[in-house]
Amino acid sequence: MAEINGFFEFKACSTVLISTGRKAQSIKELLEILKTVGPESIFHHTYQYFMKAHDLSYTNDFAQWAGESLEERALAERLSNIDPFEFQDIEELRKRLIQVIEAFLEEFPTPRVVFPGNEFYFNETITYVYPVGIRVYDLTEFLHAIKTIDAKCIYYHFYEARTRLDNSIDDFTMWIEHGLGEKALAEEIRGIDPFMHTIEGIRGYIEKTIQRRLLEEGGKR
Amino acid sequence: MIELYRGLSPAGDLVIIEKLCEHLQGRSFLHINSTKAGGGVAEILHRMIPFLQSLGIDARWEIIEGDNRFFDITKKMHNALQGKEIEFTEEMFEYHYEINRRNAQRLNLDADMVFIHDPQPSALVDFRRQGSGKWLWRCHIDLSMPAKGICDYLMRYYEKYDAAIFSISKFARGRKRFEFIVPPSIDPISEKNRELTEEEICSVLDKYGIPADRPMILQVSRFDRFKDPIGVIKAYRMVKHYNDCILVLAGSPATDDPEGAEVLEEVKNYASDDPDIYILMLPPDSNLEINALQRAATVVLQKSIKEGFGLTVSEAMWKGKPVIGGAVGGIPLQIINGITGFLVYSVEGAAFRIRQFLNNPEMTRRMGQWGREHVRNNFFITRQIRDYLSIWYYLEYGEGRIIEL
Repeated sequence: MAEINGFFEFKACSTVLISTGRKAQSIKELLEILKTVGPESIFHHTYQYFMKAHDLSYTNDFAQWAGESLEERALAERLSNIDPFEFQDIEELRKRLIQVIEAFLEEFPTPRVVFPGNEFYFNETITYVYPVGIRVYDLTEFLHAIKTIDAKCIYYHFYEARTRLDNSIDDFTMWIEHGLGEKALAEEIRGIDPFMHTIEGIRGYIEKTIQRRLLEEGGKR
Repeated sequence: MIELYRGLSPAGDLVIIEKLCEHLQGRSFLHINSTKAGGGVAEILHRMIPFLQSLGIDARWEIIEGDNRFFDITKKMHNALQGKEIEFTEEMFEYHYEINRRNAQRLNLDADMVFIHDPQPSALVDFRRQGSGKWLWRCHIDLSMPAKGICDYLMRYYEKYDAAIFSISKFARGRKRFEFIVPPSIDPISEKNRELTEEEICSVLDKYGIPADRPMILQVSRFDRFKDPIGVIKAYRMVKHYNDCILVLAGSPATDDPEGAEVLEEVKNYASDDPDIYILMLPPDSNLEINALQRAATVVLQKSIKEGFGLTVSEAMWKGKPVIGGAVGGIPLQIINGITGFLVYSVEGAAFRIRQFLNNPEMTRRMGQWGREHVRNNFFITRQIRDYLSIWYYLEYGEGRIIEL
């Protein structure tokens, strides 16, 4: 839970990948492993997908593999439509992934197998969280920081926070609302769907929204 | 030394490196591989060791010494690990072990963290002193489909390491609790990757008699069959029907690669007397030359059919060049197909993509820019140092999956 202080301290997170040693060469194998693999692996392949630079064709590693390696486009679309931030915990997300794949297998019971080397490799991560040495006290300073901070900070506070905070909101708007008393601005920023954007897209949106708010405030004076 | 990377590397990577080094201050970190020159491992260690030392880590780098017979065996091991069927005798394995034993007598193997790179020094783990630090096997080779005999032999040693690091997921063995995945990296401020002036670039082209005013297709790699230099010449010949261009194949010898000369001869024969093909066997320290060639190139190829990682891809991408690469090893991690370059599966595919780049300068520029940012965020040496230190920290102090520093 982020502390609500008179200042906002930026943190970042980075990860180190660990192989689980498990791999799937067909969607049936993927399904079987999904049922038993540790929650850390599902977390990595879904939530942490947003850490990576990606085009917006897919929204998780399972969908990307289904689309690019298996060339099962319909399945890739269905998996891409699963928003991990809708779920209260990983087990619910796991159930949803399993449901979608099982439904697909009912329609297409003899799925293809990928070429050797193109299997899906289940990984998990160790996550390191650290302050980056930037602390801001008001909205102008916050805007300045948002423009230049490492993308890893935006991931940590805007995406990863949703898995930490009880009410699925992000650290930035939590502080803007409760630390700065800017409820309307916080709600406006919450209006962007993180699932539909890259980190740089989110950075640009926050930047523009705060700039507009500061201009309004300047106009009133 | 970390100051040199400010403004180049992602700021967060530099912050966490400093924090981890505060925790690991004064501790010793030993790397052992088989060559000081040639190949990506040596290049990175040349920079990584002084970087770590400058942050208070007692970092050392040692080389395993061997004769031609030893390196002939280890080259065969390398090829077999990448899938080639090669017959090994027990004498060969015994000789590999014997050279490791002699090196263990010569080298100081004591350190808090020991990284053994690739199969050549892998048997050194048999000589680790009780109570010494953690030992990790750092494998840079494509292990996705190794020949069985060699795998069984190396597993004798593999089991004795505390953990292993592979460059990409598909190389991991699934035989240890901790098999980490750490892609290798390039150094943006090294002689091979720093910005060059036009004069510096032209002077290198002049030195090798390469015209600066014609489109250049370039592949930089060891003369190794897995890099498919013959396939590159075939692709160039297909392109030549449609576009004026020259081909430069540039490589360096490595002391641990006795096959290089043989492959070079094959390539020269295949190129025949085509005056537009430039085959350059550069001395091992030709970093400025490679930098200049990459910057002068119009299109860069890495048409490997087997690859550990293929760092020349990131080198070229950092210079704003779109790269055409074989979809093997670590190349697909670097080339996001259609965004930072193209992945190809055949000589024809390579030829077609070369023609696309030669005929679409705007697409070439755009993909080059994307590639540059992709490399900055994922394939700089600072990210690799961050990962190594993170793993070390985790193995020493880590609990759970989230670590607050």
